[in-house]
Amino acid sequence: MWQWLFVAGLIILSVGCSNNTEGQFPQKNISILIPYGPGGGFDTTVRVFAPYFAAQLGEGINVLPQNMPGTGGRRATASLYRADPDGYTLGLLNLPGLVLPSILGEQVDYELRQMSWIGRIESQDFLLLVRADSDIHSIEDFQAQDEITFVSIGYGATVLAAMQIVAEQLDLMSKNPIFITGYEGTTDQLMALVRGDGNATIAPISTALQYISSGNLRPLAATGENRSEVLANVPTFAELGYPDLSQLNVQRSLAGPPGMDPAVLTRLRETFSRTMEDPEFKSAAATAQMDVVPLNGAMVAAEIEASFSFYEKFKSKLSNPN
Amino acid sequence: MFESLLTAVAYLLSDSANLAYLSLGVAVGLLFGIIPGLGGATAIALLLPLTFGMAPEQAIILMGGVMGAVSAGGAVTAILLNTPGTAPNAATCIDGYPLTQQGKAGLAIGAAASASAIGGIFGLFILVLVLPIARTIVLWFGPPAFFMLALLGLTSLTVSSGNMLRGLIAACIGLFIGFVGYDEIGGTARYTGGSDYLWDGFSIVPVLIGLFAIAEMMSLFVKGGSITQVGSQTSIRFTDTIQGIKATLKNYRIVVSGSVIGTLIGAVPGVGGVVASFMSYSFAAQITKENKTFGNGDIRGVIAPESANNAKDGGGLIPTLAFGVPGSAEMAIFLGVLILHGLNPGPTLLIEREDTIYVLILTLLGATILSTGFICVAAFYLVRIAYIDSSILIPSVISVSLLGAYAVQSAIGDVFAAAFFGLLGYLMIRFDYPRITLVIALVLCSLMERNYTQSMIMFQGDWTGFFQDNTAVVLLLFSVAALSISAFRALRKKKA
Repeated sequence: MWQWLFVAGLIILSVGCSNNTEGQFPQKNISILIPYGPGGGFDTTVRVFAPYFAAQLGEGINVLPQNMPGTGGRRATASLYRADPDGYTLGLLNLPGLVLPSILGEQVDYELRQMSWIGRIESQDFLLLVRADSDIHSIEDFQAQDEITFVSIGYGATVLAAMQIVAEQLDLMSKNPIFITGYEGTTDQLMALVRGDGNATIAPISTALQYISSGNLRPLAATGENRSEVLANVPTFAELGYPDLSQLNVQRSLAGPPGMDPAVLTRLRETFSRTMEDPEFKSAAATAQMDVVPLNGAMVAAEIEASFSFYEKFKSKLSNPN
Repeated sequence: MFESLLTAVAYLLSDSANLAYLSLGVAVGLLFGIIPGLGGATAIALLLPLTFGMAPEQAIILMGGVMGAVSAGGAVTAILLNTPGTAPNAATCIDGYPLTQQGKAGLAIGAAASASAIGGIFGLFILVLVLPIARTIVLWFGPPAFFMLALLGLTSLTVSSGNMLRGLIAACIGLFIGFVGYDEIGGTARYTGGSDYLWDGFSIVPVLIGLFAIAEMMSLFVKGGSITQVGSQTSIRFTDTIQGIKATLKNYRIVVSGSVIGTLIGAVPGVGGVVASFMSYSFAAQITKENKTFGNGDIRGVIAPESANNAKDGGGLIPTLAFGVPGSAEMAIFLGVLILHGLNPGPTLLIEREDTIYVLILTLLGATILSTGFICVAAFYLVRIAYIDSSILIPSVISVSLLGAYAVQSAIGDVFAAAFFGLLGYLMIRFDYPRITLVIALVLCSLMERNYTQSMIMFQGDWTGFFQDNTAVVLLLFSVAALSISAFRALRKKKA
């Protein structure tokens, strides 16, 4: 009899402990999937963010960056989508890069709307750029060109979609603009413009900045609601009468698998917000030239809805130009 | 310029920790270079978190140590196991491995190490000279020039492979494999069979591991015994390595031509290194008299590609420093390290942080010298690999290689790919088809296709546009010259 009571006691204790465990998330290290290889922008963001996020989660917990490159970020996203929603596997996702494939009619193994969004870390607006030694000084000059040739990363990339939407909105389609695609990255694309492969491109502000200050490239206009602090003399598309273009940008947001326990999600979201406020994180992010524009998890979900309807609107303009 | 150089020297010598980081980098670089499958990119990615607390310059010293040492390590496996550590080491296999089979591994390693040291120093020297005009040089290469460069690479391949027909068949298989994956310009997935793994195409590391390391072990298994039956472990002499160094010095003309080719072609981002070491090999095989022994263990066939192989590292920094464009996978991660430490790689880095760049150049110089010295000394022990019995060597090499294949992007598909290419490689050995030709065609395939399509979009379908681009015309002339020389030689042989 006593033996049975003892066993029952042990069971109650262990159940109590496991309840307690749930209350005390996290109990072990957390991994953040990086959908690209080491060295790129996503890698840098996670590596800068991880130690400060870990510090906010509590002592003895590490946050481990884990590179999972492949299929343009879709491999890691699909893997995150299928992962156990216990809060120990998170991922930094590319928006609208992951929205685009389904808009372009491709099969994807994830559903962005169902992900447990924790928060946005970065958001970068785009610049429309031409060569600094060209005679194009404004959007009007650009529209007056006889030949328009954009240089871009390959089909499916956010920047190419942005160029196609800009071309449509600026009424350039009647000039049959050429899109030389297939450049391997944003810097490749900028170098191709400097070389004169084409006469315009679109790139995130932070990547283009050095090419502007070195006197190679000239920005004509920027996306985003407000002017960039670092390029205060560059007008926004909205100011120039193209409000739709202000929505073009590229964002990096942290997410977990669908169906995460609300208590765990709340804990992660609160920790995320505290990390974004941490002055030490802010200074490390500034050193790594990150564009930290935080947004809470609930707002990110709304942002995704907006992104889907925005790109859905331009769907017919986004077919492969080549 | 000299002021920055002196500041950099002073910085390097100011703290013993700097030299410790350099040595650590070299040690890791050599280890990762020697183990098939692991390479500079993996080493840098693993060391990256260690640099968090360091000053940016110290991080550069650690990573520079790795980058300067890794290609010297890659030559060792090319010679001993017929497995190129990195793709640019592939050309070293052609004559390096036959030398090992003849019991002359020490000679080959000595020659490779010394040739790569001289080439490396030459490349860095040229880099310092051309830094002020680096941007102009980089801008010479647009899509038409890249296409012609790939064409030149394929031309030098066909010219240098012994049996033309089998070489062409192997190259076609390489091109076919290169077409697998997502076509970024056409926007379609080709030959992937709906598989996510094939979406990115075959990555080069599992292909190299399969075609070389695994195929070679299968072939050794069938043959039995050890790699070489000439001599024994007790017959290894340190003087063999010294003979190798002497051979390099004797063939100084080949070293110089290899270094020049390596620096020039190496400056081209992406595949510059592969084309450079191949061109250097075929140039040496074409130009030298008494070239009949090339391919059967000619020491000049080791010296030529290795001098180009290390010189390309100097050249490869030109686009990286001028525009922040990475020339290789490891360079891409290195740029990430720079960004983490607050340095923005791009057109202004050269102006704003000249001293830091000289720290990098000096580190690479130090790493080249240190790693060469180490390999020359270690050759005495490394050569023993050629005498290890297959029952021990085969399981060790296969397990390390498959682990290496998995480690690159933690994808199990890479392990299966390595096994598949192992089988293909074995069949190619069995029926005498050149595996190296396949690899080079595979590496050049996407470069060639992409830049051809980009050029044609640029010219709006008019192919005569290629003749409007000066660099492209010069490269085309090189291809024509390479073909004419070999045709001319063949004709003269027939007459004689």
